[in-house]
Amino acid sequence: MDWDVVVESFPLIWKGASKTVSLFAWSLAAGTVLGLAVALMKLSSAKPLSWFATLFSWLFRGVPLLILLFYAFFALPEVGWLLSPFWAAVLGLSLWTAAYQAEAIRSGIIAVDHGQTEGSDALGMTRSHTMRRIIIPQSIRIMVPPFTSNATTLLKQTSLATLVTVPEMTLLTQRIFSNNFKFIEPIFVLAMIYLAMTTVLIIGQQIVERAFRLKT
Amino acid sequence: MSSDALVTVSGLHKSFGDVEVLRGIDFEVRRGEVVAIIGPSGSGKTTMLRCVNLLERPSAGRIEVDGQVLCEQQADGSMSFSGKAEIRAIREHVGMVFQKFNLFPHFTAVENVIEAPMAVRGMSRQDANARAFELLESVGLAHKADSYPLQLSGGQQQRVAIARALAMDPGLMLFDEVTSSVDPELAGEILLVMKRLAQDGMTMLVVTHEMGFAAEVADRVLFIDHGVIVEEGPAKEVLGDPKRQRTRSFLRAVLERAPMVEDGMDDDGQ
Repeated sequence: MDWDVVVESFPLIWKGASKTVSLFAWSLAAGTVLGLAVALMKLSSAKPLSWFATLFSWLFRGVPLLILLFYAFFALPEVGWLLSPFWAAVLGLSLWTAAYQAEAIRSGIIAVDHGQTEGSDALGMTRSHTMRRIIIPQSIRIMVPPFTSNATTLLKQTSLATLVTVPEMTLLTQRIFSNNFKFIEPIFVLAMIYLAMTTVLIIGQQIVERAFRLKT
Repeated sequence: MSSDALVTVSGLHKSFGDVEVLRGIDFEVRRGEVVAIIGPSGSGKTTMLRCVNLLERPSAGRIEVDGQVLCEQQADGSMSFSGKAEIRAIREHVGMVFQKFNLFPHFTAVENVIEAPMAVRGMSRQDANARAFELLESVGLAHKADSYPLQLSGGQQQRVAIARALAMDPGLMLFDEVTSSVDPELAGEILLVMKRLAQDGMTMLVVTHEMGFAAEVADRVLFIDHGVIVEEGPAKEVLGDPKRQRTRSFLRAVLERAPMVEDGMDDDGQ
């Protein structure tokens, strides 16, 4: 491996890091909010809501992410909805990650001991208060590990936005090797940056887990 | 029916799938009365208690608490239940203490106690805190106010749970085998708190295996088996001189740790 090429390619690739991070941050935020809504719908006793939520998870977990991105970027304009490459990618990534977040959130909620709901019910608390103050805070502790694996996967999958022309790190890397035909170094740099970013997420997981650990 | 009945239950049935757990229960609890419910494991005593605040929805029967009808059977046999808001309103005035405490583990003891008064009653944090400290003091745990449930012993957790229920100023307290998941030497501190509560005039419905407590504190005892009340009466009579074979066999099993006689049919064939 030629270290000069490594040093040369790093700044060129790093220029795309902010796009990668924005894709990730927007999609994670939108996908988590949507995922929470889908999780609550799936747990709802209102049949139409739980059917809708089931359909949502089934669809967006069942279709390849790349096809969602192609839909958002190539197909939506045909029906008159033109999105920039960036927002088309955020749309596809958000829907896809929401389906996974919904499952992570739902599993966290149902893992909280039923006695907690009964304790609140017996005190006359409303369902929404119980959810907000009692169940969700306790479920966060349980959902941190699956949440982090979804986030790590999402971060890596932002690389697919290359294929809908978002100038994120992977696209910039491709530009380098299609110019100079040096593959080893740019791809190595790209891999190391992704690895550094996912490492930050995993360290974050440990910090959050420590913060939510029950005091004994 | 006496006019001072706080709880009136009639024709109560409850099935889980094909299993009929309660098969026609009638009883009432008068204001200020302490009623102990005893019976073998699986007899339906816990289910019966949980019907009183509708944590379990009866399959049939009528329940009235403090003049409010929680559920009753319609002419066509279907059950009608109070709306969500009415059920919540009843539960505000009916405290419940569970076998497994069901404290909120992410809240400290005092936070457990103030949550419902603030959320349900709209009490200010200051007032709720002041009341919570009084209650924790009364169960001997003022010094543990800032401890988390998992930092407390089972006996302490259960006393916090009692304080939490009392914070809503209930007119009726339901106790569901509240000493069954604590170490035997810690049961006494819970029973002492309950005894004081009874002396202060609280109306209590107590599912228990503590025969000593039932004999000493309860005004009346209901012995339930296979989903029906087999025997009921003043504590001294039911516990001291039971009329039914089934009751005698159960009490012997509890007090002498002798196996229950299963083939001994009851006098009336139960």
